[in-house]
Amino acid sequence: MHTVEETIDIAVPVRTAYDQWTQFKSFPRFMTVVRRVEQVRPAVTAWVIGVGPVRREFEAEIVDQEPDSHVTWRSLERRPGHRGEVRFRPTAAGGTAVTVRIEAEPRGVAGRLSGVPGLTGRVLRSELGHFKEFIEGRGEAGGAWRGSIRHGHVHPAEPEPPRSRVPCWPVG
Amino acid sequence: MKKPPGEEPKDALTVTPPKKWAAGVPAVVHALEYSLEQTSVGKTGVDLLTMNQVGGIDCPGCAWADPAPGHRHRNEYCENGAKHINDEATGRRVTDDFFRRHSVTDLSGRSDMWLNHQGRLTRPMVKRPACDHYEPISWSDAFGLLADELNSLASPDEAVFYTSGRASNEAAFVLQLFARAFGTNNLPDCSNMCHESSGFALHETLGTGKGTVSLHDLHHADLIFLVGQNPGTNHPRQLSALEQAKLNGARVIAVNTLPEAGLLRFKNPQKARGVIGHGVQIADRFVHIRAGGDLALFQGLNRLLLEAEDARPGQVLDHEFIRSHTSGFEAFAEHARTIGWQDVRAATGLTRDQIAKLRDDVLRSERVIVCWAMGVTQHKHGVPTIREIVNFLMLRGNLGRAGAGACPVRGHSNVQGDRTMGIWEQMPDAFLDALREEFGFDPPRAHGLDSVNTIRAMREGRIKVFLGLAGNFVRAAPDSAVTEDAMRTCRLTAHISTKLNRSHTVCGETALILPTLGRTERDFQAGGEQFVTVENSMSEVHTSHGRLKPASNLLLSEVAILCRLARRTLGGEVAVPWEEFEGDYGAIRDRISRIVPGLHDFNRRVARPGGIRLPNPVNEGVFPTPAGKALFTRNAWEMPEVPRGHLLLQTLRSHDQWNTIPYTPNDRYRGIHGSRRVVLVNPDDLTELGLSEGAHVDLVGVWTDATERRAEDFEVVPYPTTRGSAAAYYPETQILVPLDSVADTSNQPTSKGVVVRLEPVAAGAAQG
Repeated sequence: MHTVEETIDIAVPVRTAYDQWTQFKSFPRFMTVVRRVEQVRPAVTAWVIGVGPVRREFEAEIVDQEPDSHVTWRSLERRPGHRGEVRFRPTAAGGTAVTVRIEAEPRGVAGRLSGVPGLTGRVLRSELGHFKEFIEGRGEAGGAWRGSIRHGHVHPAEPEPPRSRVPCWPVG
Repeated sequence: MKKPPGEEPKDALTVTPPKKWAAGVPAVVHALEYSLEQTSVGKTGVDLLTMNQVGGIDCPGCAWADPAPGHRHRNEYCENGAKHINDEATGRRVTDDFFRRHSVTDLSGRSDMWLNHQGRLTRPMVKRPACDHYEPISWSDAFGLLADELNSLASPDEAVFYTSGRASNEAAFVLQLFARAFGTNNLPDCSNMCHESSGFALHETLGTGKGTVSLHDLHHADLIFLVGQNPGTNHPRQLSALEQAKLNGARVIAVNTLPEAGLLRFKNPQKARGVIGHGVQIADRFVHIRAGGDLALFQGLNRLLLEAEDARPGQVLDHEFIRSHTSGFEAFAEHARTIGWQDVRAATGLTRDQIAKLRDDVLRSERVIVCWAMGVTQHKHGVPTIREIVNFLMLRGNLGRAGAGACPVRGHSNVQGDRTMGIWEQMPDAFLDALREEFGFDPPRAHGLDSVNTIRAMREGRIKVFLGLAGNFVRAAPDSAVTEDAMRTCRLTAHISTKLNRSHTVCGETALILPTLGRTERDFQAGGEQFVTVENSMSEVHTSHGRLKPASNLLLSEVAILCRLARRTLGGEVAVPWEEFEGDYGAIRDRISRIVPGLHDFNRRVARPGGIRLPNPVNEGVFPTPAGKALFTRNAWEMPEVPRGHLLLQTLRSHDQWNTIPYTPNDRYRGIHGSRRVVLVNPDDLTELGLSEGAHVDLVGVWTDATERRAEDFEVVPYPTTRGSAAAYYPETQILVPLDSVADTSNQPTSKGVVVRLEPVAAGAAQG
């Protein structure tokens, strides 16, 4: 298993950093390897990752998510698969320590290439740097999803999230 | 103009062994053969290459979802879709001369296939009282006649407005608006006869009437059940999703009374492995179940899962999901533990050990999907069966989670969308309030008639006017003889149609044929070229743009016909801008966006590639039931009593058929060629009944009333159906489905559970 882990201190409160992180569709704005993200539903996202001319698409399931604490996910593709986790911890200075850990199944020649193209500690560090720059520069999150997810099941934050207001009468 | 066939083809049955795989090169050959017989190379090229593409024609063939934009094949259609679309794009035309040559009496003696093969309808026609011929009528006079008849009714509830799932969202919205402005909720639809049981069961248990999965889920499931459905014929593009799932490592369990080719192996004609290779095996396990045994199967399976949890506490059931998202578990579990294996065996034909193998598959799988179709819904206990499937899914948290969920597989391409648009006789007050708010009239609140109740009301003389928006009600409905007598009691029947069918020939005292544009055709209105929208089985709402020149200059679009009829009927009674709606369908979508929840900003969002995906509340962690939780239910079954010497018949479609319309008398996958009047029976049952292969029999229905229901002269074909089950083609055997034999709660005809006996026909009679 190919594992990378990086931590970065960000000078915004945990809630701000966390809320911004939940806005997956905005990732391509500041991350260089993330080309497109679609939020299929709260617990499912579809990603296009690209390094140079290489593109890879995968869908990810958010397995656990707790506001202001963590998000853990796994790719729905099993070959090659990866799983990841991001944790948010308050720092003494009132900021946030963001730790991302990704475990990817090795693939390719002698397992040297990871299932996530370009996934190295250096790239992850650089992308977290972009996240830091983005949210510190803005100072506030561009949105928030405050529900939680446990074992892949969504627990919405409000009694009725707006997205669930759809026709619910019987369909024959 | 292509020449239609003059005479009916003669029946000449040949039987070959059933196929063990679906699609492959023969599918491409047969699709092109039929297409080129119907239309030109140029038209075939245009329609097929734009079919199911972004900005192209949505295939009216079925409601299966399209892959995301950017992931579609250049040829994103199946054999049956290709046949269907070119059946519409046919170069054959029904002319005035045709109606002069053929009286209504003559036409009512013709087969469904022959009527369809005559080609496209080209101008409005009327059959006047005491006349036996249709004759031309102007659009204006046709609307006048229909409007006068509607306005002369003693009550708006003497009219019925039927919708087929081919109708677009825009046409469906306008139809229900017109019906309710006119003053009735009599809005039966074809859903009443196909997936009504699914809607009721899902709504009761999950609070939403729609399936919960998307293609993403199917691709990534570990285990997929295909229960009572035949993807190879009825939704062939599902096979691509199943192929993808299999390549990703999924297992598939097919539960069926017939070992259908599409359940066994798929040769994808777009992949080398499907053209020159062996294709992909679909079902890892084929469960050969007795007709109607699905409820008992899932109850047995649920009991085994509960017992597995007893043996390994905390390791089998998803306790957190059950605790936080559901209610009723204890009562359900108590009941499930009382299920008797003898009863399960009697209902399913399966032993406990056989079902235990399914349990083991389930326990090895983290993500499970159950797909089902009419083999489940069209039984007396269709609703409890689907509730039990929901129980099964919930036990291990297989709902509202990636790669898991409930997947009713719908047929007509927009059957789900029409319901979203309010085509339902029991719409909730919130919808009716929104209509009142938007248009300033008070819609009627009393529930209207569904399909079965429409026929009952006709029979009692309570319905005077029937208007059909697409479809072939007379053939789709059960109890053909009863339905036909009922239709003939109407003062006026009118059908908005592209092609001729039996509903035009079994008609009221006055009858109108209102010919309309097909989905394939360009639609120019005052506001410019229009597109329509549809919603597939996975709640994706997207556009469909016609590409071909209309079959006739006199055709009006469905929306135009309904808007003009509404103007003529209602005058200025209600403040609905019918003329604006006809000129610009965007104006209709603007109104829809203010009435149908989830379709806000409809015009802008639907124009995006791929359209709008309506979220399913279950996947948002929301269960809009009164309790706010998903419900476990206790379900009882009552197997139909099949007396000795009788069989339980299911009606089904052949491979060369689209809904009520057969294209040829062949059913390639089942090895039936040259005739549709066949009954498929297990060889052991034949021996027991003293019948041999090739015998001619009448199928005689058994029901509680005194009416004799007889389908005459069917040839017996030994076939690997389960013991006690027989199968024969729809709609020819609709005559055997009693009107009052309906599913509990959903009032859906039980076309998969008809008790029949096979009466040998005297040799001379068979030949005569």
